[in-house]
Amino acid sequence: MITNKTKFSFVLASLVFALGLGVATPSLAVPSYARQTGMACQACHTVFPELTPFGRLFKLNAYQIDNLPQVQGITSSKEYELLLNQVPPLSMMFQTSYTHTSKALPDSVIPGTNSQDGQVLFPQQASLFYAGRIAPGLGAFIQITYDSASGNVHWDNTEVRYAKQVSFAAEPLTWGLTINNNPTVQDVWNSTPAWQTPFDQKTSAAPVPGAITQLDGALAGHGVAGLTGYLWWKGIYGELGFYKSSPQGFNVNGLAGPLDSTTGSALTNNAPYWRLAYEHQWDRNSISVGTYGMEAQLSPPGQALAPPSDRFRDTAFDGQYQYIGDDNIVSVQTTYIKEKQKLDGSFPLGLSENPENDLKTFRLAASYYYRRTYGGALGVFSTTGSTDAIRYAPGPTFGFANNSPNSKGWIAEVSYIPWQNVKLLAQYVGYQKFNGETNNYDGTGRNASDNNTLYLLGWLAF
Amino acid sequence: MKANHLAVGFAFIAAGVIPCAMAQDADGRKLATQICSSCHGPRGESVSSAFPRLAAQQAQYLDAQLKAFRDHSRADPMAQAYMWGMASQLDDAAISSLAAYYSAQKPVHGKGGDAKLVQQGKAIYEKGIAGANAQPCGTCHGKDGEGNAIYPRLAGQHAEYLVKQLVVFKDALRADPNAAIMHNISSGMSFEQMEAVATYLASR
Repeated sequence: MITNKTKFSFVLASLVFALGLGVATPSLAVPSYARQTGMACQACHTVFPELTPFGRLFKLNAYQIDNLPQVQGITSSKEYELLLNQVPPLSMMFQTSYTHTSKALPDSVIPGTNSQDGQVLFPQQASLFYAGRIAPGLGAFIQITYDSASGNVHWDNTEVRYAKQVSFAAEPLTWGLTINNNPTVQDVWNSTPAWQTPFDQKTSAAPVPGAITQLDGALAGHGVAGLTGYLWWKGIYGELGFYKSSPQGFNVNGLAGPLDSTTGSALTNNAPYWRLAYEHQWDRNSISVGTYGMEAQLSPPGQALAPPSDRFRDTAFDGQYQYIGDDNIVSVQTTYIKEKQKLDGSFPLGLSENPENDLKTFRLAASYYYRRTYGGALGVFSTTGSTDAIRYAPGPTFGFANNSPNSKGWIAEVSYIPWQNVKLLAQYVGYQKFNGETNNYDGTGRNASDNNTLYLLGWLAF
Repeated sequence: MKANHLAVGFAFIAAGVIPCAMAQDADGRKLATQICSSCHGPRGESVSSAFPRLAAQQAQYLDAQLKAFRDHSRADPMAQAYMWGMASQLDDAAISSLAAYYSAQKPVHGKGGDAKLVQQGKAIYEKGIAGANAQPCGTCHGKDGEGNAIYPRLAGQHAEYLVKQLVVFKDALRADPNAAIMHNISSGMSFEQMEAVATYLASR
C-alpha cells in the first residue's frame, strides 16, 4: 500500500518539477553552425531559435555544410574515412534574467512571510555546445548546461543525426536517423514542444501550471533516449521511432546501475514516437501542418519496474505559418496535445483518484519582427483535463484546491535583437486560471493572477 | 525496441564510411540537388524571391559570380550572409560543374505583373533612360533578357531580386566583374524605374 511518505514524495516531486520547468525549456541554435558554414544566423533563423525553410533542411541533412579547414582521410576509392573540422564548432550561451511575480511567493518555511520579490538570476543558464558535422552525413547538436535553478550542470537538448540524400521519383529524398534525449528535439518546425516559438524562453524563478503532458516537456531532461528514423520528400515528412529511459546521475548513492524502484518515473516500454507533417512553400511564405504522438508507459514513483504501469498516450496536432520578407517577418505557431492517461499502475496503489484521466494542452501564438531587430509576440495557452484529488492535490502556491489541472492565460513579449546573436526580451505572462481556479486556486488564498509574471531576459550566444 | 537494438542502430550510424557530397565535389548536379536547391529550388527554380532563379542562367556569369562570392568581391548583404560561406569550399572544377548544370536547365518563365509597370519597364529595357546614363538593357542582356556569356539572364527572374540587385549596384556593394558598368547605369535610375524594369523582366 502507498504510504504517506510516498504520497508526499510524489507531490513534492511534482512541485519541484513545476517550479523547475524553466530548466527544461528549449535553448537555441548556436553560433557553432555559423562558424562551420560561414553563413550568418539569418540563413537558418528568422530570429533564433526559429528556423527558416533553409534551416530546416540544414537540420534534416545532419548539419553538413562546412566552411572550416578539414583534417581528411580518404580511401583509394575516394571515400572519406575522416572529414573532421580542424577547429571544433563550439559555442557558448549565457542568459541572465529578472523575474517579478504579481504577488510575492510565501516563504517556504516561516509562515506569514514572503520570499524575495524580484529575482535576479546571473546566469539563469549558461551552456557549452558542440554543434556541427562530425563525419560525412553525421552531425550533432550537443548542449551541456549549468542552470541556476538546480545549481547543477546537466545534459540539455542533445541529438546526434545521420542523414543521406537519394533520389526518388526524380525528386530528392532525404532519409535519416536521430538519437536524442527529448521527444521533438529532433523536429524542424517550431510548433512542436522542444523548440516551440515564440515564448521559447521562460523564467525558472516563478510558478508555472503543474499539469503537463508527457510530450510537452515532461520527459525533457528527465533521462530518456530515443532512436527515430525519418524521410523527407517533396515537403512530406514522416518519422517513427522509440524512446527508452536513459538515467543520468543514477549511481550517486553507490547503488547498482540499472533502473529500479528508487527512480522517480521510468519508461517501462519502448515508447513509440511518430510524426507526420507536410510543408508547402510559395514565394516568401511557408505553411506546415502535422501530427505527432507518443505512447509512454511509466512506472509509478517508488514502485518496482514491473507491470502494470501507467500508460500515457499523447496525440498531437501542430501547424506553422511563416512569412520571411527582407524587412518584415511574421510567424504563427499552434499545437494541440491530447493525452489519455490509463493509470493501471498508480490507481491500485492509491496514487490517483481515477483509473483514467485525460489532459489537453493548446497553444496559439504569433510573432512579428521588423528587420530581424525589433519584435513582438502574443499568444494564448490553455490546459484542461479531468479532476483527480490525488494527482492534483491541494497545497500552498503549487497545489490544486479543486483538484482540477485546468490553467489558462496569455503571454506577450517584446524583444530587441541588436546583433543576430544577442537578444533582449521582456515577457509578461497573465493567468486567467492557474491549477484549476481563478481565485484561491491553492486553498490558501492565492489567486491565478498573483502568479502573473514579468520576465526580463538578456541572452548572448557566441 | 530492445536496448540492444538501439545499440545496433547507433553502431550502424557510427560505423558508416559515407561518400561525401559536399564541397570539393565536382559533380554539379549532385551539389545543386543536395545543397543549392535548399534555397534556389529544384533545377534552380527557386520559390522564394529572396533567392534568384538559376535555371538557364549563363554559365560564364554563374562561374564569375561563384568566384566573386569566394573572393568576397561580391559583397552585398545576402552574399555575405549566405554565399560567402557556401562558396568558400568550392574549387574551380566544382564551380564550373555547377555553372554547367544550371545553364543547361530549362528557363523559368515568370507571371505577368502590373500592366502599366510592365509597359514602362519594357520601354526602359528596350530604349534605356535618356539623359540618365542608362543604355538599353537588351544591348548586353539580350533582346529577350536571355543573357549573353558574362551578362546574366534576367528574363523570368524574381522582380524583387532584380530590384535588390539594382540597389546593390547603385550602392556599389558589388565589385564582381562588370559591376562597375551596372553601378553607372543604376546610379541614374529611380526606385520606380527599377521596379518597372524588374516587373517587365519577371514577366518574361
